Amino acid sequence: MKRTMLASVLLLLASCGQNGEPDIQPGNAWARPTRGDAPGAVYVAINNKGSADDRLVGVSTDRAAMAMVHQTELVDEVATMRMAGEINIPAGQRVEMVPGGTHIMLQGLRAPLEPGDSFDLVLKFRRSGDKTVMVDVTKAEKL
Amino acid sequence: MSLSRLRLALWLMVGIVALGVVLLLWRQAEPEQISSTPLGTIGGPFTLTGTDGKPFASSKLNGKPAALFFGFTHCPDVCPTTLARLARLRRQLGQGDDALSIVFVSVDPERDTPAEVANYMSLYDTPIVGLTGTPAQIEQVKKQFGVFSRKVEQPGGSYSVDHTASVILLDKNGQFVATLSPEEGDSVALDKLRRITA
Repeated sequence: MKRTMLASVLLLLASCGQNGEPDIQPGNAWARPTRGDAPGAVYVAINNKGSADDRLVGVSTDRAAMAMVHQTELVDEVATMRMAGEINIPAGQRVEMVPGGTHIMLQGLRAPLEPGDSFDLVLKFRRSGDKTVMVDVTKAEKL
Repeated sequence: MSLSRLRLALWLMVGIVALGVVLLLWRQAEPEQISSTPLGTIGGPFTLTGTDGKPFASSKLNGKPAALFFGFTHCPDVCPTTLARLARLRRQLGQGDDALSIVFVSVDPERDTPAEVANYMSLYDTPIVGLTGTPAQIEQVKKQFGVFSRKVEQPGGSYSVDHTASVILLDKNGQFVATLSPEEGDSVALDKLRRITA
């Protein structure tokens, strides 16, 4: 009982996140291949192993003219794609982008993404600053 | 006398305003009306353009069931995800590529030339029928299948297309059977596919 109480107090303290620091570790970044001048989509998992929240505020890569966080939403079976705001990465949690949801759209690719390619993507966090992650281009049929 | 006339005139005005409000609401509601196609009339024969640039009649699809997906080649998330899912589901059916046609129909005919669609299809190891057409042909087919799409401007001068993300399932005679929603699980989707490929 005492232990549960202690745990919940600790959890509460952690969730306040005022005193600690975020510890942002992005990984598992991948994109499907593209053709022509079509845009690409990158999916990345972001771990926050620290004790304070952080926010993803921007993205950039040398591979494309423009990179932005996008959100696919399904309304009445219709898929719409919109700019997403800042993404909250709560302390102690993992936020994973998956197909059909939040993704990083790459517009104006310098060259189409080919299976087997890899390139750097810079994720900009409010508190942790820039974190670079390597994006692997998979085959089109990866899910 | 003049008072009752005034009253009548006032009521008439109220009526006109009410009618106006109703019309306005109706017109505003109209674009939200995604599918006005009654169930029994979904589908029917159509002719579009294949990736070889030649006319493609829907009768070519007859003889085996088909999964129709409306999308566009500049679609980075939903379209590749759906095509990849269909390819995987077809593999899981275990009856070979001939058991089910996967058909991609462009809702962006301005950008999606037959060559562009062919290029896009070449990303996949599995056979997918890619179709496009003139804007009028595409509009017609969209209407037949109750599919909605709308261009949306993007920063940087390009555009994206909002579109119906459900897959339309046709039996081997080209008759509408069901839709697959991106939100339903693979086991439900597989059940539906088994039913049309049985």
